[in-house]
Parts: sequence; structure tokens; C-alpha cells
Amino acid sequence: MESLSHATGEAFRLLLSGDAQLWAIIAISFKVSMTAMLIATPPAILTAFILAYARFPGRQFLISFFSTLLSVPAVVVGLTLYIILSRQGPLGDLRLLFTQTAMVVGQIALCFPILVAMAHSSLQQSDRRAWETARTLGASHSKAFFTMLREVRFGLLAAILAGFGRIIAEVGASMMLGGNILDYTRNIPTAIALETSKGEFAQGIALGIVLLAMSFILNASLFKLQHKRRRYA
Amino acid sequence: MTKQCEIQFSQLYKTFGNRIILQNAELQLYKGVCLQLTGSNGAGKSTLLRILAGLEKPDQAVVSCAGKLMQWRHARKILQQRIMYLHQQPYMFDGSVSFNLGYAISAMKKQQRQQKIQQALEWAELGNLAEAHASTLSGGEKQRVALARAWLHQPSCMLLDEPTANLDTASRYKTLQLLHTLKQQGISLIVASHDDTHFSDLFDQTLQLHAGKLEQLKTLTVINSDKVIPITRVSA
Repeated sequence: MESLSHATGEAFRLLLSGDAQLWAIIAISFKVSMTAMLIATPPAILTAFILAYARFPGRQFLISFFSTLLSVPAVVVGLTLYIILSRQGPLGDLRLLFTQTAMVVGQIALCFPILVAMAHSSLQQSDRRAWETARTLGASHSKAFFTMLREVRFGLLAAILAGFGRIIAEVGASMMLGGNILDYTRNIPTAIALETSKGEFAQGIALGIVLLAMSFILNASLFKLQHKRRRYA
Repeated sequence: MTKQCEIQFSQLYKTFGNRIILQNAELQLYKGVCLQLTGSNGAGKSTLLRILAGLEKPDQAVVSCAGKLMQWRHARKILQQRIMYLHQQPYMFDGSVSFNLGYAISAMKKQQRQQKIQQALEWAELGNLAEAHASTLSGGEKQRVALARAWLHQPSCMLLDEPTANLDTASRYKTLQLLHTLKQQGISLIVASHDDTHFSDLFDQTLQLHAGKLEQLKTLTVINSDKVIPITRVSA
């Protein structure tokens, strides 16, 4: 108990003192995960929109496919991409394994299905009169598309938060594809795993606090936005 | 400036499974003419209006715009540009009344847009609701916002699906006033409604959709001062 309280105190000290190594790990985490989100979000939302509004053969299969991908463990995604990116793999020549790029690829693979499934759900539930009203008021297809996104923006924001929440905290794919190299591919979850295995809890707790604080801030912001909207509904 | 609306629909067919909605229907639209569309519940009035607005694909249709015959694929674009469809319960975008009105003229410069919005608010007697959130409006107010949006957009033709259903007397009266103004401005109107009493001054002709066919119930009496123009040819 004493060691836990000591570790927690040390964790706060590390955070508040601006420990360079700790904040470097946090920076890498955010850089990799935000890059992955920036790359994955536009095509995921477009895919969700097509699945919600277009009718084509194989649509149901695709919806089921993305739903299935939601439950694939991160470590399986990591393993699959490891095989593809390893020296003997089909993309081995790119030498991407154990780089931040590989981590970004892994995180895109993890968040894409979440973004598609949740955005699709929001768009599917949206009022189709919105699209028709936009079109009948002279909006082009692209303007009507962005109007629809605006109408379901809170659902999309929730999808983005859920996707970000998954990849910033996942350890399996990051560990396998990044290799947990200090100051390069060591991010928050891989650092927590490593420090805990060494019995060094302070840095792990400090990083855990960062994750919790981030999660709280993001969810509180979303709740506030939704609450603001509900006042009018 | 309202565009001349001379759109002709012929060989209109639409089925849902075994249910026939439209069967070789024919319809011509002329500028400033108001048609009443009646029919029993489920007869397909809304489907017909949605097809005319280019929002729903018919099984078969020949559309002619200004004498030029075109296939549905091409016609659809023109219909969506020229014809405006108003849902029975108009959809309001998430935002203020001003935002909803501005949507119809979003290509305009900000200052000009603001002026137009102000004019539309006065036109529809919505001045005191400019900044109100659209979702807080009553049914009648929403209907007026939708009509003001249409007034700003200036379509050639407007299709209204039961615009006065569930409205109180005052709201119905205001909606009718606005429809009269739109008609006077040369906008063609097709109104799906059973309300003969309140709309009697507005309609030039009444059509009934029955068993997939459009039947003419009341003959057109006045369109121009010098001649009567046939606005519909009803298929046999």
C-alpha cells in the first residue's frame, strides 16, 4: 500500500516536473494516433455514407464485414501486419517494421472499422428528409453530403472519440509493429506495459493518469455538446 | 426571376412489388398553375410528387423539358434543380430560422444573403423568430419557414405534400396566403390535399390518383385571361 502511494506521488512528480522522457512518450502516442485518425476518418466517413445511402450488391456483406472487424483483437491486427511488413512479407522491402509509420498503419487498421460502423449507424438513423431537403434546395451532391455530416455531427464525433480511444490505448499492435523503441516508437500503452514488467510503477501510473485525463476531457466535451443540442430538441 | 416551367411527364410507371402506384400517367406543368392532387390514403400521391421532384426513380418515365425529350437519368438533375418538394412535415436543419433560410441562398454573398433572409422573414411573418432554433417551432411556423425557404430559392415548381395537415386555423390561413403569393409570382404548385374548402381559391384543377391512374376531377377554368391552357392530359 505504501509503495502504491509512493508510486502515485512519484507519478505526479514526474508529470508536474515535466519529465522529458515521460512527455516524449506522450508526444509520440498522440502524434501516431492523431496521424492515424486524420488519415482514417475521411475515407471511413465516406464509406459509412455510401453504406447508409447507396444501394448496391454486397452492401449488407460489407456492413457485416465492418461489424465483424470491430471484435478483432488488436494483437491479431498487429500479427497480420507484422507478417505483411516483415522482411519476408509482401511489403518487407518497404522496411516499415518497427517505425512510427508501421504503428500508424496498424492503428488505421484498428480504428477504421469502428469509425465506419459508428458513423454508419449515425447516418442510417438520420432523417432522410435532410438529404432530400438539401437537394431540393439546390445543394450539389457534395454540399448535401456535408449537410448530412453536419446534421449527424455528434454521432460522428462520438465515433471519432471511440476510434481515438481505442488506438491511443491499444498495446498489441503498437508493440508488434513499433517494437517499443525509446524516443521513437514507445508510446503510452507500450511504456506502461514495459515499466510495469520492470516493477517501475511510477511512470506507468503517470501515463495512465494522462490516458484517464484525456478520456475524461474528451467525453466531457462530447457530453457538453450533446447536452447543448438536447436543450433545443 | 422565376423560370418558365414547362415540364411534361408521360408514360409514368411505378410499382412497389405487386402494388401499382402509377400506370401510364401523363402530366404537364405550366407556369403559375396550381393543381390539387387527391387520392385515398396509400394511393401514391407522395410517391408521385417525389417522382416529379426527381427524388424517387420511376420504373419508366419520359420527361420533356421545354420540348426536349430526355431520359430519366438526365431529367432527374433538371427536376431537382427546378422543382422543389416540401414534405408533409418540413425538415428543418439543425440551426436557427435564419440559418435554415440562408441555406437556400448559400451561394450569395453574406451581405446580400442577410438582406434576402430579412425579406423572407418579413414575407413569412417570421421576423420575431429569426434567431429561434428551428426545432422549437410549431408545425405552422415550420411550414412557413419551409415556404420562405422556397420563396428564396425560387423554384419553377413546388410540390407540397399535405401542407396544411394538422395545422390550426390561423396557421392554415397564413400558409394559404403564402401559397397564393407564390402562385402569383408564377411558381407552379401541385398540392396533395383533401382540403377543398380552404384551397378552393388556389386550385386551377383537381386531379385524383386512383388505381395508378390520374383522373381529372375538376376542369380548369381560368389560367390566362384570354385562353384556357390544358395543364394535364390524363391517361386512359
